[in-house]
Amino acid sequence: MSATLTAPADVARPHRQRLVSAEILKVTSTKMWLAMLAGVVVYIGIGVVASIFAPTQPGVSVPTLETEPGMRNLFAQAGGAYVFAIILGALGMTQELRHQTMTSTFLAEPRRNRIMVAKMAAYGVIGAIYGAVGVVFGYASALALLPLKDHAAIPTDALWQIAGGAVLGCALFAVLGVAVGTLVRNQIAAILGILVWVLLIEQLVVVFLPAVGKWLPGGALFGVLQTTGFNGAEYLPVWGASLVLIGYAVVFGVLAALTTQRRDVT
Amino acid sequence: MTQTITSGTTAGTVAGAPIEVTNLTKHFGEVHAVQDLSFTVEPGRVTGFLGPNGAGKTTTLRCLLGLVEPTSGSATIGGKRYHDLHAPMRVVGSALEATGFHPGRTATNHLRILARSGGLDEARIPAVLESVGLADAAGRAVGGFSLGMRQRLQLAAALLGDPGVLVLDEPANGLDPEGIAWLRSFLRYLAGQGRTVIVSSHVLSEVEQTVDDVVIIADGRLVRACPLTELTTGRAHVVVRTPSTDQLVVALASDAPNAAVARIEDGLHIEGLESAAIGHIAFTAGIELHELRPGTDDLEQVFLALTSVPTDGATS
Repeated sequence: MSATLTAPADVARPHRQRLVSAEILKVTSTKMWLAMLAGVVVYIGIGVVASIFAPTQPGVSVPTLETEPGMRNLFAQAGGAYVFAIILGALGMTQELRHQTMTSTFLAEPRRNRIMVAKMAAYGVIGAIYGAVGVVFGYASALALLPLKDHAAIPTDALWQIAGGAVLGCALFAVLGVAVGTLVRNQIAAILGILVWVLLIEQLVVVFLPAVGKWLPGGALFGVLQTTGFNGAEYLPVWGASLVLIGYAVVFGVLAALTTQRRDVT
Repeated sequence: MTQTITSGTTAGTVAGAPIEVTNLTKHFGEVHAVQDLSFTVEPGRVTGFLGPNGAGKTTTLRCLLGLVEPTSGSATIGGKRYHDLHAPMRVVGSALEATGFHPGRTATNHLRILARSGGLDEARIPAVLESVGLADAAGRAVGGFSLGMRQRLQLAAALLGDPGVLVLDEPANGLDPEGIAWLRSFLRYLAGQGRTVIVSSHVLSEVEQTVDDVVIIADGRLVRACPLTELTTGRAHVVVRTPSTDQLVVALASDAPNAAVARIEDGLHIEGLESAAIGHIAFTAGIELHELRPGTDDLEQVFLALTSVPTDGATS
């Protein structure tokens, strides 16, 4: 067929590589990801400033900067990029449905599982980049502001672990976002649902019912980031919390891929 | 605008593959979009896939392209389902309705994404954009494109893999007359190279000058699949005008009971009788005639008659 006439340089490239690179180009060829990255910087900046300067509330025991858990909580603010990572992931799928580019995507690669895997992999990479940017900015602003307050020391090991946790957490939340976007489909519903869940419902459960909350994705992230809650509430250990987060990403990812498999694209 | 038609496509011959639709049926819940539809589209020819809006054209094409799962039956390209094609964009290029663009993305980036996804050569993009007349708009965001420009970009996407089969859903929508003329010559050129070209439309006159074959469907069923020339040999008829219409109807009914006589505005439309015979009957009955004009139904009338009565080709 015509394929033999054009002598394609690209055809030998494995499909995973091509599809992931196409998905990343989809993200970088519009401006949304930069706007969201600006959001990451603002959100983490507010979190760091509040952790350092907010007065303690009477009746609530929050670890202060004079303690090591307080210092871990401060640096865990660097993981705040996860909110934007999950929204970017959800946008990545719902934009395709909204602008009907899904048709071209499936025409270029009709094996839909490949598309889903590539999309989640690409958003995992982008989520990890968000996490890394969050760590760099969060750590830099924390280290710049800390000399203004009395504070304990923090082991360098803990800093590396929290940084790693932030990158992993943001990558997994971005994957989760793709899955939620696939399952919900409607863009506004998906974004609103994620915001209400992540910023409101989950926060309340994680803070006030840590025994339940630690099993939720947001609570698991607290575990990965080595956060200590109100009145000394503890979350899952890093390894357990990582497994819980990975579990959420895998379960929702598989569900999303399954629903996409045979759905009519009209 | 002037385009070098050849620049985005391989010169010389390109082997197309036949499209075969076999007993295709698709139900969306209670809606029977396509019903037991079978037809074949041959390489090297432009085939018009025609029918009124809602006839099932888009559903059929989406089944062919693996976007919609048929309820039963099959639609294949060169004997293979779209899912089973190794590098589908190299075999089939398609431009479908309700296929969109991200408004913030440039034309070039849209095509780069498709090229990467489909394993195609990104170096072809400038030539393909030029072949559809979008070279100057390559770096512009699609959000600012007119409907006609979007149609051209869809066509560019279809040509990206230099495929032997082109599936175009209402490609003339949104094109200005100049654009339609350009599209005609472009499709003729592509089919002339040996490619299989299927073009859907709800307006026959839009593709009348382009297509070799027609596949006409209505209500999800096949009405007619034949070369266009067979369709144009429409039924002969005679239009008669007379001040004594009623008397002529009576005279015709007694002398030529098999003729189909229909009243039209200030006259009669008669099938199954030559004009000489009608003149003779009128003369014998002493009826004055003002006009006796033989003719054939034009293509659009044939098309309308075919598609308004989906079960057979009888006059309504």
